[in-house]
Amino acid sequence: MFLIKCPYCGERDQSEFNCGGEAHIVRPKNPPDLTDDQWADYLFMRKNIKGIQFERWNHSNGCRRWFNVTRNTATDEILKIYNMGEQPPIVTGIAPKTPSGETSIGSGNISTSYTKK
Amino acid sequence: MLNRENSIHTLQNNVVQEHAGIKFQELPFMTKINLRGNPNDKKFLSSANEVLNTILPTRTNIYIKIDSLKIIWLGPDEWLIVDEKGSDKQDLFSKLENSIGSQDASVTDVSENRTVIRIMGKKLFMLLAKFLTLNLDNSLNSSSSVAQTLFIRVPVLLMRHHEHNREPKIDIFTNRSHANYVYKILVDGTQNLDF
Ligand SMILES: [Zn+2]
Repeated sequence: MFLIKCPYCGERDQSEFNCGGEAHIVRPKNPPDLTDDQWADYLFMRKNIKGIQFERWNHSNGCRRWFNVTRNTATDEILKIYNMGEQPPIVTGIAPKTPSGETSIGSGNISTSYTKK
Repeated sequence: MLNRENSIHTLQNNVVQEHAGIKFQELPFMTKINLRGNPNDKKFLSSANEVLNTILPTRTNIYIKIDSLKIIWLGPDEWLIVDEKGSDKQDLFSKLENSIGSQDASVTDVSENRTVIRIMGKKLFMLLAKFLTLNLDNSLNSSSSVAQTLFIRVPVLLMRHHEHNREPKIDIFTNRSHANYVYKILVDGTQNLDF
């Protein structure tokens, strides 16, 4: 359990929110031109990072608005909350904290050099 | 006019039940209209203001009271209009529909969706805090505060009535089908309030 600061309602318990998965996935302009692999990639393939991840959240049991969250999935620390449509914050080079303070090796390293495909 | 039964069987006909100093009442039927529109659209705002005789609140999580109406902020482009006069339902609805309905906005009658349980009593916040994750001191800090949240697992809207230093009085808006559950849990919670 953790608290999320809704841009409208302020700090509320996580149970009031729903996560809408990875943010900043752009719908392809011409779906008919895509191969099945490319379309499946757009529909289903999501990153599941140990470290800093960009997500969409909805305050479903409050004001029912969507917003973006930059969250460290290892510690649930929220680095930034920003509106839909805004660019993701730059997190390159931020070493994500880990629960017991161990160095963020392995998959944690992915997020330190996060780039969109 | 329709004679509606309350959702909570023990609270019919405006009966007030008291449990450990906390009073419970299910309010009679009220008109509830959900209004959506762009708060930056001047035409929408002025039509709404004209019908309601007041400005739609744009500050988050508050409500304003005017005559028998309460206009509740639900979201940056969404409001709930509650009219205590349940009998004038068609009247208010058609007025809003006529002036706003053709615009890029929506007017929806949600009167039957929720019922309102009114609770009063000195230890009210203590009782509510047992079941809510909400920080009541922050979220219900003024006499015009509202908060949408979860009560155990049930979506509720809390509306504060009392002024500072007065006996707490809160309205809980909940789905009719959940009302009995919410009421029973609250009554159960009154059992050990005197610590
Ligand atoms: Zn919210």
